[in-house]
Amino acid sequence: MKKNIKWNHYLNYIIIGALTVVFSAMSLTGTLSRLSYVLLQNISIAIILSVSLSVVVGFLGELSLGHAGFMCIGAYLGGKVSSLLLPAFGESLINVIISMAVGGILAAICGVIIGLPALRLRGDYLAIVTLAFGEIVRSIFMNSSPESFGGSFGLQTPRYDRTYLFIVGFVVVLICLAVIQNMMRSKHGRAITAIRDSEIAARATGINVTKYKLIVFTVSSFFAGVAGVLYSFTQSNVQSVNFSYNYSIEILVMVVLGGMGSINGAIISATLITFLDVQLQTILTGDLAVLQDFFYAIILIVIVIYNNAPGLKNFRDKYNFKNFTEKLFKKKNNPAHMTDDEAKWNRVPSKILVDEVLSTKIQRDPTASVKPDKEGK
Amino acid sequence: MKILELLINGLSIGGTYAMIALGYTMVYGIAKMLNFAHGDVIMVGGYTMFVMMSLMGNPILALLCATVLCVVLGVTIEKLAYKPLRGASPLAVLITAIGVSYLLQSTAQMIFGSSPKMVNLISMKPINIGALRIEGYVVVTLVASVIIMTILTLFIKYTRIGRAMVAVSEDKGAAQLMGINANAIITLTFAIGSALAAFAGFFMLVKSPSLSNTMGAMPGIKAFTAAVIGGIGSIPGAMLGGILIGVVEAFSLSVESIAPYTDAIEFLILIIILLVRPSGILGKKRREKV
Amino acid sequence: MSKKFFAIVLAALMVLGAFSFAGCGNKSNTIKIGFSGPLTGAAAVYGEAVRNAAEMAVKEINADGGVNGYDLELIATDDAHDAKKVEANYVNMLDKGMQVSLGCVTSNPCLEFCALSKEDNVFFLTPSASNDDVTKEDNAYQMCFADAKQGVAAANYVNGLDFDEIGIFYKSDDSYSKGIYAQFKDTLDKGIKTVEASFTSANETDFNTQINKLKDCKFIFMPIYYTPASLFMTQAVEVVSADTVYYGCDGFDGIESAEGFEIDKIPQKITMLSHFNSKADKGMAKEFIDKYTKEYGADTLNQFGASAYDCVYALAAAMEGKDITPKTEASEVCDIMKEVFQSKDFKFSGVTGDDITWNKDGSVKKDAQAFVIKEANA
Repeated sequence: MKKNIKWNHYLNYIIIGALTVVFSAMSLTGTLSRLSYVLLQNISIAIILSVSLSVVVGFLGELSLGHAGFMCIGAYLGGKVSSLLLPAFGESLINVIISMAVGGILAAICGVIIGLPALRLRGDYLAIVTLAFGEIVRSIFMNSSPESFGGSFGLQTPRYDRTYLFIVGFVVVLICLAVIQNMMRSKHGRAITAIRDSEIAARATGINVTKYKLIVFTVSSFFAGVAGVLYSFTQSNVQSVNFSYNYSIEILVMVVLGGMGSINGAIISATLITFLDVQLQTILTGDLAVLQDFFYAIILIVIVIYNNAPGLKNFRDKYNFKNFTEKLFKKKNNPAHMTDDEAKWNRVPSKILVDEVLSTKIQRDPTASVKPDKEGK
Repeated sequence: MKILELLINGLSIGGTYAMIALGYTMVYGIAKMLNFAHGDVIMVGGYTMFVMMSLMGNPILALLCATVLCVVLGVTIEKLAYKPLRGASPLAVLITAIGVSYLLQSTAQMIFGSSPKMVNLISMKPINIGALRIEGYVVVTLVASVIIMTILTLFIKYTRIGRAMVAVSEDKGAAQLMGINANAIITLTFAIGSALAAFAGFFMLVKSPSLSNTMGAMPGIKAFTAAVIGGIGSIPGAMLGGILIGVVEAFSLSVESIAPYTDAIEFLILIIILLVRPSGILGKKRREKV
Repeated sequence: MSKKFFAIVLAALMVLGAFSFAGCGNKSNTIKIGFSGPLTGAAAVYGEAVRNAAEMAVKEINADGGVNGYDLELIATDDAHDAKKVEANYVNMLDKGMQVSLGCVTSNPCLEFCALSKEDNVFFLTPSASNDDVTKEDNAYQMCFADAKQGVAAANYVNGLDFDEIGIFYKSDDSYSKGIYAQFKDTLDKGIKTVEASFTSANETDFNTQINKLKDCKFIFMPIYYTPASLFMTQAVEVVSADTVYYGCDGFDGIESAEGFEIDKIPQKITMLSHFNSKADKGMAKEFIDKYTKEYGADTLNQFGASAYDCVYALAAAMEGKDITPKTEASEVCDIMKEVFQSKDFKFSGVTGDDITWNKDGSVKKDAQAFVIKEANA
């Protein structure tokens, strides 16, 4: 049983790692099509973006509409560093690492700056402030002088060899997963979800809300910045028009589709949406292309209402994805052990109502209070 | 003279923003949610006027039809998308609102295509006062927004329903205990907000006849900025904030070196106001209750 | 348990993604021309014009016996004026067997296309991406004027007009507009004062502030596309004096057919600098206009289409008689085409100009003409 939980915890690394190895092997033998490279690099960027946004939206419970802004900072500054380093290092791994670090750190610094108002503001106000921030960033790069960041012509960035760029992308995905997943599984992660469920209660139990909010914004914007640098490597020309708040909303759709507070969900939906985007691009042309947005909008509304409407609680308990999959793969373990809240940290409902908490406590198995992250128990 | 002209121009931009901001501030004050789709209701109103103008050619009739349709749409959105989420986390409501906004935009694009449409509603003669020249629509926009604001203020202060609105906005639970049908009040708020959106769409189109499926998005966000600056929930505040944003926009557009940064400047003002005085200029301070 | 499900879904997707293996190759017996353009979104009218006109040219050439005895085939893909989408389009077109290309319709995506096509050595002749950097690689050629050249030509025209003060109205976040604007300012006589106003895509509908600023100018240069230009003119009817002249570049083309724009109500004179006159009443331009409007209507008739029509004919002329078959690799085609386009004897006459030749850097050499779209109302 204990072994089983551990295995489950590392399953997503193993799958992504294994697929990366398989695709790298295919790339080396030259059996990967050109379109697959485009797909793979786009998917890796989308996964980093959606996982990093899901920390803010799914776990901290704040809406950030400035994720594309952080990505923009990474893309411009990282891309600039990379092109400055080009004479010294060429298109080498050192150049990739340095420029990613610079892009990520600078985006993280902006994350701290935008995290500071987040300490004072909540909910809708914070969403609007992050949106405003993203638009300001975009506007600054858009109007920069042609010598510095290219202005409206876009910044020329080195385009890296795509046969290995996607491997770099997936290594970053693994690092991102390692950082975020481990953080969320530690006591810090529980503190963050506690802030989401009730900031005042969390403060009362002695959680340093200021610290955790800043950490979340920093980590999230760091990885958004790194994703931006990766993006700049896939393009010969970075244009700030692409980083409008609409792009932040696209990332938000991925997070919501995957299920708020579920990292694996974010990974799956990022993969799925990117895959569909690229494939449908050639199928849906003309005014048909808008059908895609139309369905995303409907899916977004339906999923959020289904997951959050207080009136649908009973319905939700009866017919949900968890029940469905559990019926699909017959459960071997004792169900009493598996409903443990902590063991299934990624299924904490987005808002725990008082009565829900009470009812779970009553039904709870006494053996289930063992904390999963403490080894040897 | 130049400054006076800019000021008048700013007032006319601000008048439209104020009208949109009134809708935001009422909905936010009473339903406690940011109706992200408010800007897109304007767009729907605009397309309705476009269709009605080509069918009948009467701008007043077109405005009436648009108002009715917007009210129906606003109430439908509230019933279908927002009402099931009453009591859920604010995050869920906001994401749904974003979804509704996208739904409206993509539906409009499916029906009308993505290329902008031109709709000529009315052309008004400019008024000349000495060397000063004021466009007709400037006067109409300003007068209309002041009238609407006055009516709204009177409505809220002196009618039973208006006072019920205030009660729901102050404390929903207590208002319900006093026998106020909070759901009906919230629906009414959405109806009023959507009607205001239709009016705002009318004045936007009189000023600039271009119609596209994203025409409401940016003005919507800027009007929300205006509502926040004036103080969310305050009707004169929305007016003040709208006019402030409009004047800032006019002035910064007229200075060549900062014109490209106009949007950035408006957003920066928003961030500063929220940091320094989150309750806005005329808003009341509220403490969060457990 | 849902993690197992997660695993299966993810694995299935990844494998699905990898299924599209390389090497579909060119199976049918046609020479393939690919392009990527905005078939959706705000710039769709340009993409559609290019697609229609290029299709028309392909049909005509095929009816005439094709090139080297083979038919031509057009592959059109949609990038919605978004550079992010270009790579997937490009790869798709290569998979479908594209041998030579029209590049992208608009400038920003075309910069991306230029970098991509350089890697595989694919020749392209863009009908309308006018950015100066589009032709920086040796496989890239332009049929339209580069922005720099338009700016210089427009400034020279204005220098000869004897104005003390002119107005400039441009879009500050658009590379087309900004590119022309920068060159125009550089070339303009220093004695001419300028009053400048700009806008961004975020506030593209309400120009009253800008109009107020420019209202005293008797000559207003507008290096912008026709949609905002028509809005500016509509809003400025009462403000700007009737003897003012509006002067635009090739982005003005098609303004008289803009939807809902009543050009007769604009009292001012409207002129533009272009390589195509959509009101031409003689020559090849007239023929093209007649054929195009018969087939696709006047809604999308503009210089983008005319230029694309010429591009296809120019490519066909360059390929004719050379060793190019449907089996030829794209990079071989490219080497042959580069040689042809660089040679002094290759001259092309079409809808957008006579005796067109190309410079060493890939930009086009032909005459720009100033057209009067509409005279001032008396």
